[in-house]
Amino acid sequence: MSQEFLLFILMVGVFAAGCFALKWPVSVSMLLAAVAGALAGGVQNPIRHLVEGTFGYVDTILTIATAMMFMTGFRDSGALEALTAAVIRKFNKLPGLLMILLTFVIMVPGMITGSSTASVLTAGAVVAPMFASMGMSALDSGALISIAAILGMIAPPVNIPAMIIGGGIDMPYVGFEIPLILLTFPLAIAFAFWFGWRNVRKVDRSKVVESLDFSALNQYGAWRLFSPLILIFVLMILDKTVPRVFGLGMPLIFLLGTALTWVTGKRFEILKSAKKAIEDVLPVLGILVGVGMFIQIMTATGVRGFIVVNALSVPPALLYVMIAVSIPLFGAISAFGSSSVLGVPFMLALLGKDQIIAAASLSLIAALGDFMPPTALAAIFAARVVGLEKYGGVLKKLVVPGLIIAVYGILFILFSKQIRALY
Amino acid sequence: MQKHTISAIICLAGALVAAAIAGASFLAMRKPDLIVRGPGVTDVKMLSDWFPGLKGTPGDTEVYILKGADDGASMLVLGGTHPNEPAGHIAAIMLIENAQPKSGTLYVIPRANASGFTANDPQEGAPQSFTIQTPNGPRVFRYGSRATNPIHQWPDPNVYIHASSGQTLSGSETRNLNRGYPGRPDGTLTERVCYGIVQLIKKENVTITVDLHEASPEYPVINAIVAHPKAMQLASDMVLGLEMQDIKISLEPSPVNLRGLTHRELGDFTDTLPVLMETANASQGRLRGRTDEALVLTGKDKWYVRAEKLGRLYVPYDEKGHPLEERVGRHVTAISELMNSWNLEHPEKPLEFEGLPGYEDFLTKGIGVFLLPLPAKN
Repeated sequence: MSQEFLLFILMVGVFAAGCFALKWPVSVSMLLAAVAGALAGGVQNPIRHLVEGTFGYVDTILTIATAMMFMTGFRDSGALEALTAAVIRKFNKLPGLLMILLTFVIMVPGMITGSSTASVLTAGAVVAPMFASMGMSALDSGALISIAAILGMIAPPVNIPAMIIGGGIDMPYVGFEIPLILLTFPLAIAFAFWFGWRNVRKVDRSKVVESLDFSALNQYGAWRLFSPLILIFVLMILDKTVPRVFGLGMPLIFLLGTALTWVTGKRFEILKSAKKAIEDVLPVLGILVGVGMFIQIMTATGVRGFIVVNALSVPPALLYVMIAVSIPLFGAISAFGSSSVLGVPFMLALLGKDQIIAAASLSLIAALGDFMPPTALAAIFAARVVGLEKYGGVLKKLVVPGLIIAVYGILFILFSKQIRALY
Repeated sequence: MQKHTISAIICLAGALVAAAIAGASFLAMRKPDLIVRGPGVTDVKMLSDWFPGLKGTPGDTEVYILKGADDGASMLVLGGTHPNEPAGHIAAIMLIENAQPKSGTLYVIPRANASGFTANDPQEGAPQSFTIQTPNGPRVFRYGSRATNPIHQWPDPNVYIHASSGQTLSGSETRNLNRGYPGRPDGTLTERVCYGIVQLIKKENVTITVDLHEASPEYPVINAIVAHPKAMQLASDMVLGLEMQDIKISLEPSPVNLRGLTHRELGDFTDTLPVLMETANASQGRLRGRTDEALVLTGKDKWYVRAEKLGRLYVPYDEKGHPLEERVGRHVTAISELMNSWNLEHPEKPLEFEGLPGYEDFLTKGIGVFLLPLPAKN
């Protein structure tokens, strides 16, 4: 039994004991697991390593915190409720089309920013009340938002896991559009029907519109109420298309949107609203900090290498099973981290395949990491925007779709050359 | 006082102590390692002397000049383009502290990305420095980040768009010096450093440019030289020279569609003949085990040995590892062979240097004996 294996057991054990036996927060348990690993592994200057590890998520933390402030402000201004009322009134008679449309709407921020969290906390939060009005349960709604968010993160034009995997083998991010569309759009349509259609077809559509509140919409008008959301989307697009002129970055874009919510709808206390948003999101930010420490100590002690080499040690026939299992599992720490740490070595093992399709498929499988606890960013935030305290129920709903997505990605790798010949 | 207030105060105090200890450690990284002027060094300038836009920035860096008594060709050697690839940095220092010019001029930038030497990559668990024993005592060298310190260039965009080609890469590559060429005078700090290096090459009419790197053992381009098409003949001759010394090295053409790298952009945008060299460095790989100074110095890693047996590597790997002396020896010997190859084809414009240790010298004597004593402290 190697020392790295024992360290791995120790770190996971301390984490589990903290979480389940002592009922400490996930973030504190991660911190203690990292400290235990650093001490047992004889890491020199452990405090420096623990602090350094947290810096891997500084940008993500800023984006999540400001996105939450924006969504809370958008809700408190009455715009969220008004938007739901307006959209349902317009599409009430075409629920099937609306389900597909809303699923793609959730995907858009992820497609633009490459972040599933951005998708959930912006479009996901906007769409969640619409799903509820159409008769979807909170669990189904949360699951569909999670799935749409990770598909948006993988769909073109921006797919950061594919860029990371490509960067690891010096493959530029060129020619990925068609494979990524083929990988994501059919799944998005299929899951929209899976979660949506069976719910909405049972609902009496005539009563749906009657239950909606149009007061804010009538008082302020659609353009004024929804202008913060429009501003966010316009700035996101400008940030990507002309970054040298409008390269504001996601946190600043969300802050500008938050400021605008203060003057476009119902009056509310913006500082109180922002404080509430940060209080709500603090546990998740703490998890990211804890995960940063955990992964730094795993790397310094050699536990990461132990995991990667063992994942690559399987016979060729089991390589695809290991890809489907290990990449999402490692994504429990970070989907982007998994793309780099496991995605690149697996990509090197797949050099005989069509490289663009293989890398695109690996990126889809890596995105499943955003479903994996303890980070499970897509699932945690989706549960939050549909009003659930805990995300366990949403996770259960994601098991079968997750398997389908993994198998779909593996099939694309296996038949990469045949798929490439199609276009 | 309420219980949760006491808990909060204790947590805050703990965080402040951790921040103070870690902060002191991070600040210590800003003190650069010492490089001794060797007998061949005739001048030391700053990159900002060629591009004033860098003056006073963390991107400004020393350029060591070794000018021979006779005129001839010139060569620029870039070490530390990626500060987590120590063989390139140390090989550049070997040139500075040992080379003695006869004809032609050698320009050496040992810390091409000076900012990258002031930080480590989060979640990579890397050491901040490594120590080489010399007959005159230990010498400490920085082990830095692959990219520019985010303190000096932040935040990263989600997507990095290479300025002259429009090629897109993941956002963190915006701080990668070897993705930013030919650079821009009004670009990011990283792009300005690239621009400064291009200005040096243009104004000094540098004949050959060598960019020293290392690669992880699982990466296909390893123990290799990558050459721009116009440097291919020179690189081919060099490979033959190394083969004569029983040093295996592969020759790769610079890919046309991978932009921003020295071996592509310096060839396209200047008259220099650019080549890039790679050796095998376990301490930057994804399959590595325990990450510490010993791994940097010896390259010994049981997980890489196992990966080699699984057929996952592109370089032979056994229990002996790939020690720093072997990797530095490959770089320095390759540079000597590059000069020989140039001189064979261009005797009218020679590039001749003496005093450089050979590959066997490094393997048998180590690196320390070729490092000069540090000046005595006052």
